[in-house]
Amino acid sequence: MATTTKSNYHDRRVKRRLADPEYRAEYERALRQIQQIDALVNELDELRESAGLSKAAVARMIHKDPASVRRFFSAQINPELKTVAAIADALDAEVVVKPRGQRGKRRASSTKPARARRKKRAVAA
Amino acid sequence: MEWGIVYYKTPEGVVPAEDFLDGLATSVEAKFDAVLEAVRSAPPPQFSGGGYWEAMHGTMNGYYEVRIRAQQKLHRLFCLLDNADEDGLAERGFDGPQIAVLNGMTKAVGKRFSDAEYRRNVRDLGDRYMGTFPRPVAD
Repeated sequence: MATTTKSNYHDRRVKRRLADPEYRAEYERALRQIQQIDALVNELDELRESAGLSKAAVARMIHKDPASVRRFFSAQINPELKTVAAIADALDAEVVVKPRGQRGKRRASSTKPARARRKKRAVAA
Repeated sequence: MEWGIVYYKTPEGVVPAEDFLDGLATSVEAKFDAVLEAVRSAPPPQFSGGGYWEAMHGTMNGYYEVRIRAQQKLHRLFCLLDNADEDGLAERGFDGPQIAVLNGMTKAVGKRFSDAEYRRNVRDLGDRYMGTFPRPVAD
């Protein structure tokens, strides 16, 4: 069918470009970042809906202009981290950064001793 | 219904958006493609595009842009969302809704595109795209 062929023009182009390691690395990194941001904003919107709150109500809770909160949820502006944090807080939620894979595990384990040392110093003080 | 991505093609057979993307640094081009893919897989009205995809306003109302900043330059890729019922899509040559990628422009940080540039490089293309059945796209 027509759509398949025409949409495949883009798919063929991207597939061809993915053969370039530099392109592939950036494409995959960018896609991961974008999908994380999208998931976060959409999750906040689901929380808002399940709490029965309008976008205007959320705006009032965080002292923001209702239009800016509407734009926030409809991808009409680049979401600011402070707005994300404020909306999460208003919905009784929080933004969490989770280590990913082996790199995350190494980083997580490497911070433990440092924390322990800090705690020790704190206790000693 | 699954969305597709199509590229506007001029009567001369030129694909302006592809020429624009081909002229960019590899990392910038890859980011544009990643945004398009993200929007296609989670299309509006839900939030998608990671903040790089934005609806335009004023004389550009109805258009969308992908906005990438790199090395003191602002790159913009201009798109339309093309959707209708099944018969309407068939008339356009599609069996699903499409992100129609029209063209791109680059400017220095702090500069603005003039309305004449928007008219010449985006709206004229968009008008021809929307007024043509089936749609003039690269295949």
